[in-house]
Amino acid sequence: MALEGDVGAGLIAIGAGLAVGLTGLGAGMAEKDVGAAAVGAITEDQSLFGKAMIFMVLPETIVIFGLVIAILGIFVM
Amino acid sequence: MSLPESMSRIVIVGTKSHMDEAIDALYSVEAIHLIDHTVDADEGFSLGTPRPYSPKASERLLKVRAMEKELGITKHVKAESVPEDEIKSQISSDSVELVEKEVLSVLDKRNDLNQRITELNATKRNLELLSDIPVDLELYSGYRSIFGVVGTVAEDPTAALSGINCEIFSSFNKKKGNVIAVFAKVEDKDAVLGILSENGFSEISVPEETGSAASALAKTDRDLTASTAELESVEKEIESLLEKHKSFLKASEEELSIEVQKGEIPVRIANSEYTFVIDAWVPTSKVESVKTEIESKVAGAYVEVEETRGRSMKEVEEAEDRFKDAPTKFNNGKVVKEFQYPTKLVSVPKYQEIDPSILIAIFLPMFFGLMVGDVGYAIPFIILGAYGLKVTKHKDWRAIATVLFFGGIWAFIFGLFFFGECLGMHFIGAYHADGGHLLEVEYCWSMLLGVDNLPSIFEGILPYGTGVGKLFHVGFLLKLSVYIGVVHLLIGYICALYNKTIQHGFKHGFMEKGGWIFGFIGLVVLCYGLAMFLIYGTEMSEVLPFIIVGAVLIVIEVVMNIKHEGIQAILELPGIVGNILSYTRLAAIGMSKAGMALAFNYIALGMVGGVEAGATLGESFSIMLIIGFLLFAFLHLMIWTLAILSAGLHGLRLQMVELMAKFFEGGGIEYNPLKIKRKQTVSNKKATKEV
Repeated sequence: MALEGDVGAGLIAIGAGLAVGLTGLGAGMAEKDVGAAAVGAITEDQSLFGKAMIFMVLPETIVIFGLVIAILGIFVM
Repeated sequence: MSLPESMSRIVIVGTKSHMDEAIDALYSVEAIHLIDHTVDADEGFSLGTPRPYSPKASERLLKVRAMEKELGITKHVKAESVPEDEIKSQISSDSVELVEKEVLSVLDKRNDLNQRITELNATKRNLELLSDIPVDLELYSGYRSIFGVVGTVAEDPTAALSGINCEIFSSFNKKKGNVIAVFAKVEDKDAVLGILSENGFSEISVPEETGSAASALAKTDRDLTASTAELESVEKEIESLLEKHKSFLKASEEELSIEVQKGEIPVRIANSEYTFVIDAWVPTSKVESVKTEIESKVAGAYVEVEETRGRSMKEVEEAEDRFKDAPTKFNNGKVVKEFQYPTKLVSVPKYQEIDPSILIAIFLPMFFGLMVGDVGYAIPFIILGAYGLKVTKHKDWRAIATVLFFGGIWAFIFGLFFFGECLGMHFIGAYHADGGHLLEVEYCWSMLLGVDNLPSIFEGILPYGTGVGKLFHVGFLLKLSVYIGVVHLLIGYICALYNKTIQHGFKHGFMEKGGWIFGFIGLVVLCYGLAMFLIYGTEMSEVLPFIIVGAVLIVIEVVMNIKHEGIQAILELPGIVGNILSYTRLAAIGMSKAGMALAFNYIALGMVGGVEAGATLGESFSIMLIIGFLLFAFLHLMIWTLAILSAGLHGLRLQMVELMAKFFEGGGIEYNPLKIKRKQTVSNKKATKEV
């Protein structure tokens, strides 16, 4: 199949992919540690679930930022 | 706003001779949150001792629990409930002891039999080994000048023993083991045993029987069978005992634990020589009824209302230590009550703050619905949620069922009127005409069903003519979710201001939390201006007012907060932007599900429709059709299951992390009134009512 479209669109797509992928990796690395500690804490004391969950999902925001950038890249630029 | 119910502190005074009546009355009003008396809190008062009936009840409770454990009565075993009076009279006529005697005798029998079977099995093993040696059992011992040993060895010691004058019987068998019997002179005993132990000897004790090992083995086998049969009959006996006594045991356990609980009350209250004093929290609305009931039921008792606690923190500071914290009684209706669970996951609200359950009840199902946004997924959610609410009693499952039910309703509404979507396909399709790219052929319900008048029904109802496309109107959804975030967070900041106002007065509250409201609005306006300029390329002159107003509001925030928050007043600002952007997950999760559904629909429907287009109706057609539909069902089930996890958890997260962090402090004590919960026994009140 021959290449279609312009190079710019392709670069934007690559950029969007990188934005989501790399932030996903980052969030994963951060959540790995938090999650392990959170599960440990919950095992000791069930009532910590709420607090543990809050800490657990904090790094998720990173990937949301990446997603916003990706969407802006694809649909707005 | 939903604050916890107002509480009043009361003091109940009475004479010790009426203590039992008083304890019964405390339990029957079901509104007394006892404040534990602390040693030396009041001069002349001390902690009491348990009621006289308490030790006996504890002892019986212990017996009952031991029996339940032995008989295998767990909480899952169902038993009929027993009237309260009946169980009480049974307990007082020593039924517990009688049942214990009966149960113990059978249990002892079982233990004896078990032990006997273990012994017989050991003997059997030995005899099996001995049966390979052609020596009668009584011949192994009873000599004066010679001795005999028999046992298993790892290796053959015959060669090593050849130097000693002895007689050897042996049987070497890989499966059963190597058995050897040695008879030698007593003076050679040490030498023989030394050689044997070098070869891994382990002695077998010879049973005190006569005749050949084989006949003894047969006898042991007979004994074993008899004992096993006996054990079986005992097991059956135990089972019949379980059936016979389970309802008595369960009921008496409940009754006795209630008695023990009641008997311990004096330990929690203040006692003098002749009187007792009880401090307690009671919901303000119930104070009068509690007062009349207790004063009428207990002779010589007097109830006085000490205070009705307001929400101001000043009252807390002025109160004595043990009266500082009023308990939190959730003040919610039937529906919102089900949403207390997520609140409690974080913490129980303080008495002086808004209970966020009502906000969660509004927003959590709404967010869930927005993220799912599909009629086809919504209906199973509603059915499953309704079924769960009807069937389950466990609070965890009820909480999940509640979210599924109300979330499902929202998903249905959004799916029908906003997205116009069912199972990832729009009702009416072909909107790719106005945008242009991405989709070549679009599956939609009007096309699949071959109905042409669907568009005319939906036209005018759905935004964008065909409904919002989750993968198509991304910009719009993104903006929408950001706006939802702004509103949601603003509610959070207003709640914070309200909390501080009722706790410390408006001035203090405004100085502490008002700044953040300015800062938040300022940031939103500033970001709006910047976004218009940077992304949409609006002229600077047009967006300048936004930027200026935003900047001014932020400066006000910093000035107001810098004194008591320090550098945080500035450092928090990017965090707020993060909080707002965090709401874009509302759009993102909808998108991810729509993406999956799109791909799956193309695969599954392509299978069905694609072959149909091939047009040769035959075997291959029907197989592909079936596979296609199975695939369709399976793949959508997968998306649906993922929706529970992603939409449910992310919806909850937005409440807990973004919203509640803005105002919720928690750490309250939950209102826990003295109350008798009966499951296995029927209380007198209820029994008389039914008659």
